[in-house]
Amino acid sequence: MKKNTNQVRKLGMVSSPTGFTWANVKAELRAIWESNVKQWKIELAYPLSFIRQCISPVFFLLPYLIYGLALMGGGYSPNLQALVGTGDIVTFIFTGYIIMGFISTAVFAMGFSIRNEQWFGTLESIYITPTNRLSIVLGTALHSTVHQGISVIVEFSIIYAIFGLGLKMTGILPALVIFALMMFALYGFGIVISALSLLLKEGYIVSEGLASVMTILSPVAYPLLVLPEVARNASFIFPTAPGLIGIRTFLLQDYRPEVLGNMFLALLVLDAAWILFGSLIFRLADHYVRKRGSLEKY
Amino acid sequence: MTQSSLGTNLFVVWNEVKKNIKFLLAYPIVFVFWGIFPIFWFIPFILQGEALVGGLSSQAFAQIAGTPDFVPFVVIGSVLNSYVLSSLYGMGESIRREAYQGTLDYVLASPCNKAYILIGKAVSESLTSTIFAVSQLAISILFFGIELTVGVIAPILFILILLVLGLYGIALMLAALSLRFKQAHDLAHTLEYVFYLFSPVRYPVESLPFWAQLLGKLLPLTYALIAVRALLLLKQGLSAVYVEILVLLVLDVALILVGFYMFNWMENKTKKSGMISQY
Repeated sequence: MKKNTNQVRKLGMVSSPTGFTWANVKAELRAIWESNVKQWKIELAYPLSFIRQCISPVFFLLPYLIYGLALMGGGYSPNLQALVGTGDIVTFIFTGYIIMGFISTAVFAMGFSIRNEQWFGTLESIYITPTNRLSIVLGTALHSTVHQGISVIVEFSIIYAIFGLGLKMTGILPALVIFALMMFALYGFGIVISALSLLLKEGYIVSEGLASVMTILSPVAYPLLVLPEVARNASFIFPTAPGLIGIRTFLLQDYRPEVLGNMFLALLVLDAAWILFGSLIFRLADHYVRKRGSLEKY
Repeated sequence: MTQSSLGTNLFVVWNEVKKNIKFLLAYPIVFVFWGIFPIFWFIPFILQGEALVGGLSSQAFAQIAGTPDFVPFVVIGSVLNSYVLSSLYGMGESIRREAYQGTLDYVLASPCNKAYILIGKAVSESLTSTIFAVSQLAISILFFGIELTVGVIAPILFILILLVLGLYGIALMLAALSLRFKQAHDLAHTLEYVFYLFSPVRYPVESLPFWAQLLGKLLPLTYALIAVRALLLLKQGLSAVYVEILVLLVLDVALILVGFYMFNWMENKTKKSGMISQY
């Protein structure tokens, strides 16, 4: 008995890499990178599935475009021009739709990264490594962001070839800055979803629901002005609304933002809020499932 | 077929239906989700229409769709498309699900005709899809001003049965492929894209290029949507859509025959190769 107690003490003395030191940051960055590499290895093991996933966003974007063209009998909408200054249906919808894949990054890829480890039977092994669990989630986020980036390039090439796009090339750099700010807040949101999937296990219903609500509240295929006022105000909880308005401001000729304000500032506030909130919720959920012993439950 | 064998086969169908309904009712939130949430997937199209047109009717749309009201057009497309999703992912992957649950070996080794197990799966999928479709339609009547007269319910149900039969022919082919190739998920996704893009779910087929229109005319959903919209939106009678109904019938017969043939062929091939229990 005495021997066992000593053993427990010795185990307890194993130094874990805690604290904000450069060595620990480097170790966590390495864990993020390795998690990302693992996701790529799994994905590229099924090349046909990978190709399908890269092309699939085009199949969901085209109905938005064809529907818009069918409604107007052409590519120009006077009403859209009256609302936001540009009447170019194809470019307006394309610049909105490119973020849809990144919503999936947050909601599904990050949200289910922990749950997937459980399906693969590797969750317990990961949990006993001296790595922050969030590194696993962020590694998946990195993989998914690059994957969605490839999809956006495919979308751009196909839509440009079929319809043509009127984009301001000079606005690409500031639009990318806005995009990066939007992604940080989306990562925070994704961490919240992964905490929920730790608690709820089969949390796909909640994720589907949140993704649907976020899609409606984001100005993907329409400006925020067509939403009721309550929904318009609620849309600024998610980073996609200020993100899209900001991206369009730099990329679209004659675009008049439907909601005025400093989008950089709005996104910075959302970044801080979602990342802090996400980390807190994740920490609480992680602590809760381990305390209850429900980690390995399906 | 003797009376007792018919009774046994119906017993198989009934128990398969019971099993699937039990599974569904074990997760009530899933049940509620599919009854309500597909609404959220077509709301963006309604808002998009409002933003582009500045109202809820479009004359340009009327020239190709026959009706300027795009909201009921989109709602009907979405509700009927949910049958495609349930057949591709529900029934098409039902065999794969048995493998995951560890019951596929027992199902295939049981001394009953496997076709009746598949019929049981198809009946339960149809029942649940119809419950979800009715729920979505009821919400649409309440919030999106869809008008439904009692007189068109029976003809619409008839068209839905024809649609479901054709879709299950396709699902049988998918089930056959998942027996042999295990992961038919990618194929199900690809078929979903084909239905979504080339059928008049969100827009009339006339807005597509000629080659795409031809492809759309090979899909049962195209004819079902044209017929249901003619009855519900254009207030036409069943006689106005007899061509669509006849084509649906022909497609149904062809798809079901090919589906059953493929399934039996794949089942024998898989049994002989000893690959049933492989993942």
